[in-house]
Amino acid sequence: MVTIIVVPILIALYMSVLGLDQYTLRQWLNAPFIGVGNYVEALTQSSLLKSFWISISFAVISTAATIPLGVGAAIATQNRFRGRAVVRSVFLIPYVLPSFVVATVWRTMFQPGGIIVNGLHSAGITSGLWLNGPKSYWTLIIVEIWASWPLIYLLVLSGLQSVDHEVHEAAALDGALWWSKLRYVIFPYLKGPLSLACIIAVLNHINNFTLPFVLFGVPAPRDVQTLPFLIYITSFQSFRFGLSTAMGFMSLILVAIPLFIYLRAVKLDTD
Amino acid sequence: MTASALPRASSATSRKAETRQDEVLRLLPNGLLVVVIGALCALVIVPLSYVIFASLNSDVGVARGEFFPSSFSWDSYVKIWTTVGLGRGIGNSLVVAGSTAVVSAAVATATAYVLVRFTFIGRVTILRSLLVQQSIPGTLMVLPVFVVFFSASTYLGITVIGTLWGLSITYLTFALPFSTWVMVTYLRGLPRVLEEAAQIDGATNLSILARIVLPLSWPGIVVSAIFAFLLGWNDVLFASVMTNSDTRTAAIALQIFGATQEGGALPLYGQMMAAALVCATPVVLLYLIFQRNLVGGLTAGAVK
Repeated sequence: MVTIIVVPILIALYMSVLGLDQYTLRQWLNAPFIGVGNYVEALTQSSLLKSFWISISFAVISTAATIPLGVGAAIATQNRFRGRAVVRSVFLIPYVLPSFVVATVWRTMFQPGGIIVNGLHSAGITSGLWLNGPKSYWTLIIVEIWASWPLIYLLVLSGLQSVDHEVHEAAALDGALWWSKLRYVIFPYLKGPLSLACIIAVLNHINNFTLPFVLFGVPAPRDVQTLPFLIYITSFQSFRFGLSTAMGFMSLILVAIPLFIYLRAVKLDTD
Repeated sequence: MTASALPRASSATSRKAETRQDEVLRLLPNGLLVVVIGALCALVIVPLSYVIFASLNSDVGVARGEFFPSSFSWDSYVKIWTTVGLGRGIGNSLVVAGSTAVVSAAVATATAYVLVRFTFIGRVTILRSLLVQQSIPGTLMVLPVFVVFFSASTYLGITVIGTLWGLSITYLTFALPFSTWVMVTYLRGLPRVLEEAAQIDGATNLSILARIVLPLSWPGIVVSAIFAFLLGWNDVLFASVMTNSDTRTAAIALQIFGATQEGGALPLYGQMMAAALVCATPVVLLYLIFQRNLVGGLTAGAVK
């Protein structure tokens, strides 16, 4: 099983030092060897660094914005009430919808003259273009937030449920008001699950290709060219295969940091 | 869930005890509870109901930004099957994602069993690599896979690109690490005692697996199969590169609605929304049916 991942990675490593494009693909083993040329070009002449920045800020902003939504939802559905099962199912809907469906739907809603532009217009706000130009970056973030907050909700909810009943009893005996109970009793318990949730969320945001790809299509506005998207464009629009694999390897750095923390946090072995 | 797991006093006082326990577990005052739940439900339901209305609306109506259709019609749901061959796309998706699910669940179960029950050198490394592999961006893998498949046709004369099995193999490489991880966490929770008892009774390793482990781990197997299925169903990246007009999946077929224009006027918004709903239906159904198991799998340390 390791080989089916390792072999492509080795091939990718080899490809990243070749001057590979659509003309040399057919006989790709004979493509000219250019060493670190692709890496140098990616750093100096492409928009790789800009994409790095877009990916990082996109992941951080999306994660930060989903925290209050997810935590709020988890706290609200901890208590039993009539119809809680339905509410919980509703909360999961954005997460279970396929990304390509979510992106298609929001693309239609953000269309010039579509429901959102029109709605804002009747509220007296002229919003301009959402799928093009600088605002497209925020469109991407809004849709990502809508689609990803239930992940935080799920992980925080399971953290909440592992809080001992005695803790609740003690807080009730002390006559703690709801806010101080949350602030001083419950939140400290959630630190662990919430940080794990954030790391997983950041990894998901960084690796999300489908959402920007379907939401904006190709050619895409520059402001939404996250790393995976830029790599895709370099591969299948510019056909610079060697260059894009070099970019791919450099983008691994970005995944490596949260992944490292994640690996430390997950219990690998029970023994 | 916590409350229901607690011991009940007696049937006569249980109702009372329940309300008291609810009071103890309470985190938010009633008013705030209603506001939070109402706001979050609206966040989900408003866009969703818009999609349903838009799928019943005319293209002009959607383009004008109507929420409620000025004229209702089921036309879109009839037309989607002929405009771009959505039926074929869904069929392809079912075949690809289905085969990925079956194979990956079977292999993952066997691998996970070995990883959990036997000790050998490199075991922890393999466990760790399962998590690492899940996080490797697909965009890094798509090119080497494409080149390998491309070479297969140049050097060996085997066409892989554009075939359904080629796509399925590709998804397997991504589904397997995740499915195996799900099974590892599941099998770990099974008591070892049963297997030891069977061993004492003289059962062979194989019959222990067949008669004890498999029947007990069905829920885990189902979850890992469903996740593999979803991976195949939801993918756009590989499908956009490796399919042709005969083998394209539902995800790609849906993209084509956006590009198709009747008489050069408007995109087929109504049909696009209808098709989006149709593409989402199998996934949502799977979740609703297996919700209890899936949520457990999601929180067991899952990168989507």
